[in-house]
Amino acid sequence: MACTSLPKYPLTFPKSPNTKTPSSPAFPSLLKSSHSRIYGLKFSTNSTSSLPSHSSYPQRMLICAKVSKGDVPPSFTLKDQDGKNVALSKYKGKPVVVYFYPADETPGCTKEACAFRDSYEKFKKAGAEVVGISGDDPASHKAFAKKYRLPFTLLSDEGNKVRKQWGVPSDLFGTLPGRQTYVIDRKGVIQLVYNNQFQPEKHVDETLKLLQSL
Amino acid sequence: MYSITPYSRLSRAPGRLHCPCRATITTRPSTATPPRLDDVTLMKPINIAIDDPSSLRSTWSHRAWVATGFASVLTSLAKSVAAAADSGSFVEPLLAAYVGYVLADLGSGVFHWAIDNYGGPSTPVFGSQIDAFQGHHRWPWTITRREFANNLHALARAVTFAVLPIELLLNAGGGAASHAFVGTCAGCVMLSQQFHAWAHEKKSRLPVAVVALQEAGVLVPRPMHQAHHREPYNNNYCIVSGAWNGVLDEYKVFEAIEMAIFFRFGVRPRSWSEPRSEWREEAEDTTTA
Repeated sequence: MACTSLPKYPLTFPKSPNTKTPSSPAFPSLLKSSHSRIYGLKFSTNSTSSLPSHSSYPQRMLICAKVSKGDVPPSFTLKDQDGKNVALSKYKGKPVVVYFYPADETPGCTKEACAFRDSYEKFKKAGAEVVGISGDDPASHKAFAKKYRLPFTLLSDEGNKVRKQWGVPSDLFGTLPGRQTYVIDRKGVIQLVYNNQFQPEKHVDETLKLLQSL
Repeated sequence: MYSITPYSRLSRAPGRLHCPCRATITTRPSTATPPRLDDVTLMKPINIAIDDPSSLRSTWSHRAWVATGFASVLTSLAKSVAAAADSGSFVEPLLAAYVGYVLADLGSGVFHWAIDNYGGPSTPVFGSQIDAFQGHHRWPWTITRREFANNLHALARAVTFAVLPIELLLNAGGGAASHAFVGTCAGCVMLSQQFHAWAHEKKSRLPVAVVALQEAGVLVPRPMHQAHHREPYNNNYCIVSGAWNGVLDEYKVFEAIEMAIFFRFGVRPRSWSEPRSEWREEAEDTTTA
């Protein structure tokens, strides 16, 4: 079942620090009694230094989070830019950064991809793999990767099935696929969920920061 | 949760030529339906300053529209002053006028953004404006060559058609503040093209008062507007005072709307790609200056 993300305020501005996952939900009775449920507060505490000055900006509330910190995410097998099937399990034993982005050849996604490209050596040094996922088809990914010389894998989540399964929230009242990044550790457990639609380069900073602490 | 059609499944909207070295994007080969061509692709723009300089001069039709525009605006303002004098309070109408000035700036940005990014010369109602903006981006300096009424007549016409019915409605019960808001907002919209032209003019050619107002931020500053004419051509759209530019650009409001439009309708804005030849700026020919 997909998750529903409710804005606390009528409009969520792009610069909003929708940083990690949202703050504590308003309906705790709907949630599993897991240690990860209050991740929103935890992230706020741990990441104050990385938040913009307007960190008091409204956070989004999730009624239910499908995949969050501490979870083992559901596996998937998707086609990469060469049309080959790639399973998440392929990366078991090493950290992997899975970043969901709206679409190839859009401004934010290009910035994000180029930012991951430019820091790719740092990710390699940390022993991590980077995987980008959007709803575009393999041909689109191939052209996008070729044009911007992206050294990592792009996967086609056609129909956005994995996006929905992992509960990546959408933005702008559902009109825009969300930009959310997950860092999965060597044991296959999610250690970071970072969401920021309009500051795509921050995804690299946040994930590298966490990888260096793993 | 949502149903988003992957980009590759959307019919491709016309974009700009490829330029592989930028962080911003260009159109890419699509596996979907071939791109629709709009008139921008087919049009061959001329350099009007060189090929048809008479098109920069004011005609009696232009002057007539500017006259009606000014008449509408001044009527609103006169009504506001009369009503304020009757009531003895000028604070409300002055505040309303300020709000009108501020919203005119926002409105100029929204209109400018829409015209710069979507549609083409054959778009109903706005086609000629889009055509004019295309010419402006190609030859930005020609705006300084346009005579006053030539430059303002299109906006003056829109203001005439907008203000007259509003004023008729306000006659029923509008106060000094309402008239002040309408008059100021419409006046700033109409004059925005003059402010725009001043933003392109050399400082040495401008009246001292205009330069002072630009430097004070009352009118759109020249460096701010010139940033709009540089890569990535997706910022500083407001042209009355430019006060909204900071907020709109910092919070990427237009980018957010562009993304929403793209995912909802499959239409890419022109600013996502390198300028096509007909939008790409040409340097001023000093022999015609």
